[in-house]
Amino acid sequence: MADDDTGPASPTESPALRIREPPKVLVPVEVLEGQSVSTQLVEFLAPAEVVLLGYHVLPEQTPTEQASMQFEDRARGAVDDIAEAFREAGREVETRVVFTHDRDATVDRVAAEADVTAVLLPNPVADVADVLVPIRGAIDAGRLADLVATLLADSRGAVTLWGIDTGGEFDAAAAVDRARGTLLDRGLAADRVRTEVSESDAPARAVIERSPEFDVIVMGESGPDLLSLLLGDPAERVAEGAVAPVLVVRERSG
Amino acid sequence: MSTETREGTNRDGESPEQVALPATEGETTVTEEGSELERSIGLVGGIAIGVGTMIGAGIFVFPGLAAGRAGPAAAGSFAIGAVIALLVALPASELATAMPESGGGYYFVSRALGALPGAVVGLSIWLGLVFATAFYLVSFGSYAAALLTEAGVAFGGAPVVEVLALGFGGLLTALNLLGTENATTLQNYVVGLLLTILVLFLGYGGLDALGVFGAERTPERFMPFGPLSMVTTAALVFTSYLGFAQVATVAGDIENPGRNLPLAMIGSVAIVAVLYVATIFVATSAFGSDSLSAFGETAIVEVARAFGGGVGALAILLGGLLATVSSANASILSTSRAVFAVSKDALLPRTASRVNLRYGTPHVALSMAGGPVLALVALGEVEVLAEVASFLHLVMYGLICVALLAMRRDEPEWYDPEFRVPAHRLVAGLGATASFGLIAFMQRESQVVGGAIMLATAGWYKYYAADVQLKGVL
Repeated sequence: MADDDTGPASPTESPALRIREPPKVLVPVEVLEGQSVSTQLVEFLAPAEVVLLGYHVLPEQTPTEQASMQFEDRARGAVDDIAEAFREAGREVETRVVFTHDRDATVDRVAAEADVTAVLLPNPVADVADVLVPIRGAIDAGRLADLVATLLADSRGAVTLWGIDTGGEFDAAAAVDRARGTLLDRGLAADRVRTEVSESDAPARAVIERSPEFDVIVMGESGPDLLSLLLGDPAERVAEGAVAPVLVVRERSG
Repeated sequence: MSTETREGTNRDGESPEQVALPATEGETTVTEEGSELERSIGLVGGIAIGVGTMIGAGIFVFPGLAAGRAGPAAAGSFAIGAVIALLVALPASELATAMPESGGGYYFVSRALGALPGAVVGLSIWLGLVFATAFYLVSFGSYAAALLTEAGVAFGGAPVVEVLALGFGGLLTALNLLGTENATTLQNYVVGLLLTILVLFLGYGGLDALGVFGAERTPERFMPFGPLSMVTTAALVFTSYLGFAQVATVAGDIENPGRNLPLAMIGSVAIVAVLYVATIFVATSAFGSDSLSAFGETAIVEVARAFGGGVGALAILLGGLLATVSSANASILSTSRAVFAVSKDALLPRTASRVNLRYGTPHVALSMAGGPVLALVALGEVEVLAEVASFLHLVMYGLICVALLAMRRDEPEWYDPEFRVPAHRLVAGLGATASFGLIAFMQRESQVVGGAIMLATAGWYKYYAADVQLKGVL
């Protein structure tokens, strides 16, 4: 399934600039809590390969086996319904159902096992046209470009690369230029890539505040620093506070 | 996978159900339908479950009682208990790596020896843990009462220990019913804090007992009541070691069970054994066994006061509260898992393993733990509660050893443990003999209650699930 053509997303430029692989997106859904994936999001993600993870979190006093005995059929049914929506949008979907005590451990494990490019943290969304890419640290420009270029190839959406200068050694402007270059190389038209750079001491809050202007946020994973230990991962904080869904680009493993 | 003997129905027409496939690898188990069950307890978490369940009684309840019965030889009683616990922990580890399933001891016995011994063990473990939990709660009540007394609250002769124990037992059950998000993390911290308090206390007390500071104390005869008293006391204090098998009841949640299960079980027995023997040594060196005995269930607080004054006493009181709560909570959780394992195999109505979708907790199984616990707490008989709990566990431990012998003799095709007990016949043989033998040294009252419970469970099996077959299947 990973070997087929890049499908509708494949840009038509010279082979050297072709996307190296169809990006793979992990979509975790808390199925038994009635969480689902909106049609707009399904359409937006359809150019990528999707791994649909239906999970159910249990308190520690409940053996996972016990819950699975009782709820497995319901969880499978709910996941299959969502998978059907993706299939109708033209993509085969890999589905997994997991009963767990620890959501983050499960998402991390499945993301690593399936070697996904990005993990979706779902939030409601209308039609996807504007994508915000906040850049506040070293980011894997290749992976980011593969993901954004593929997802936007067939739509008319635009991407905003927003360098956030936190006053450290990180050169936000240069990183934005690099990312823009890579996106153009991947075949995105120049008028669909906007760039801007601004300063902020609290990048996560700044992103949340601007989130209503955009439909999807794509950001990099950040390493464990003191602040994320205290407040949680910035991407998760953004996902909780923002109006838009967040795609977290994972660092390449190995 | 041999499923041909997994059959038979109970009176309600239910037959044993298999959820997870026997094949396990690393971080997940896969069910028959292909869903994954995440394993999220690591080695430290496993050890914390073992130590957290075990560490309460031996240090915070028994020093006074045991010293009264055996004198300084009580340290020997704890050592005997540790040897027996290790002799059982080894076979249990091998079986757990071959069958890392919820239910632990019940699972091994029912698969190796058949449904009748399985039912007796499974139901006895449920009730044994109920007795153990009641015992931990009554101990908690003693500590809470002592702490209040320390704070200057006067009771005027009210039955405050039982009231506090009942209140807290109800609270723990309710918390578990509503779902405790970070129970495991909290348990790790509680155990860490507890170990710190104890190591400081034992470090200072040990140096003192060896005569490093202060005056040499009057030497006392090691066995003032003879060697037999050491063995009968071992039977009483064996309750202190009723925790390592609880690690096996959460086997389905432990990462990399082939490595972590044996390490957690054997490691937690080793850790608490050292602490217990050291505590008794320190306690009997600080006071004569007569005065220790007179202090009763909170004797160790007086020992701490002798070393560290008011601060020492408060630290140990705090430790006692943490330890008894952690043991009681771990036991309530294990009880509900034991009920689940038995109900999954159709030996109890399937309703007993229902999970409440709103809170995600096994509410029926938890109530089957919490309800009877409160009834027993009201009785308040510490020694009988402890011994009946020991009795029922010792029967299971003995049968676990027999189960290992049977498994090794038959070696079904699927039996492929990652850890094999060296000289298994000797270890399991000694473990079974010692476990069954220790029962003979208990008080008559506990033997009668324990025996009656076992007969009742066998009767239930004959009445309810006589057709259910479990031997030799996964």
